[in-house]
Amino acid sequence: MIDINVNKKLHGTQSEMLLDVKLNINHGDFIALSGKSGSGKTTLLRILAGLEKSKGIIHLENNIWQDHHSFKSVQKREIGFVFQDYALFDNMSVLKNLLYVNQDKKLAQHLLDITELSELKHRNTTTLSGGQKQRVALCRALMKKPKLLLLDEPLSALDPTMRIKLQNEILALHQEFNTTTIMVSHDPSEIYRLATRVIVLENGKIINDGSPKDVLLRTQGSQKFSFEGELLEIKKVDVIFTAIIAIGQQLVEIAISENEAKDLKIGSFVSVSTKAFSVNIKKLS
Amino acid sequence: MNTIIAEVKEIKSVDNLHIIKFYFAGTILSMMSLELDENIKVGVKVKLIAKSTHIAIAKEFSGEVSYSNQLDAKIVHVENGELLSSIKIQVWETTLESIITKDSSERMNLHVGDTITALIKANELSIVEVL
Repeated sequence: MIDINVNKKLHGTQSEMLLDVKLNINHGDFIALSGKSGSGKTTLLRILAGLEKSKGIIHLENNIWQDHHSFKSVQKREIGFVFQDYALFDNMSVLKNLLYVNQDKKLAQHLLDITELSELKHRNTTTLSGGQKQRVALCRALMKKPKLLLLDEPLSALDPTMRIKLQNEILALHQEFNTTTIMVSHDPSEIYRLATRVIVLENGKIINDGSPKDVLLRTQGSQKFSFEGELLEIKKVDVIFTAIIAIGQQLVEIAISENEAKDLKIGSFVSVSTKAFSVNIKKLS
Repeated sequence: MNTIIAEVKEIKSVDNLHIIKFYFAGTILSMMSLELDENIKVGVKVKLIAKSTHIAIAKEFSGEVSYSNQLDAKIVHVENGELLSSIKIQVWETTLESIITKDSSERMNLHVGDTITALIKANELSIVEVL
């Protein structure tokens, strides 16, 4: 169990913000930390890692990482850390990158097996692809057998296929080692696949905390198929109206009635939804 | 998902709103849609779909109802769950499924062999493929 009760004044680009987070994390939890950029996610990770000072306490079981009198450095916190950019030692092989952290060759081999890196273990890390480097970084973070694994958007620079592959490996590693993990992520499918709990930060405060399904599934009453988007255009067609809405990278067109059209403003954000029973599904080739 | 193979009979359009009529099983089906693939023309065969939850069933039906698509069919299978019933019906060579509440199924006393009318609204049919 990790007890966190920290606060820190942050100087944002717009104004001052107070990061104020109280959180209990159970052993083995996989937490997705989500929220807009500038909401304090990375700062919170850095505070947990001991890379940044803050007011308040952080306890891991009976181990005090920080309180009003003491502050443990990053080296003494038993933490594994993986960032978006691959912080590997470039002049070393894959295996040596792992053994640099901990001489346990058996553990290194086991990690390389799970992440399918065994065949590359003698390669210099400069010759690896982005996905391979990130897998090495993940293995290296786990070589310490950390009590807490912190992942700051580790997959965001990878293409979708590689992301899914690494998500599966992260999941396999989590199932194997049961390492308590906090991962910053914005990708709903990634969060749903990996996390047991989602925490959403806004302006330095926790505004939502729950299971991925409860937090991510945007539902209104019985409408289970729901998206938010920007209303681009409303056109009258015959006795009805059609609305063009931009949702993510896609445009959708829906039929609406005059009454519905009346209350809508072009450029406003709207939610479009239908019941789970109404949606057609088709496999993509 | 219910698949219906039908032939385009007629296309009527107002701007990007279309009503398309199809020949199917000795009757005419109607579909309402926005935007229409350019390959969909009179005479081509298409694959239509309708969700099982969008197919209603009428028994000994008389009077008028606004459902554009009314298919004479025969019940070939009834599966009752705790709350819902899956009714499989046959229209010529095509088998369709209707999912209705078990209460309705029991109220209407639906059984295999019954002759019924399957009702599908024009906006609940979609084209998935031009054949």
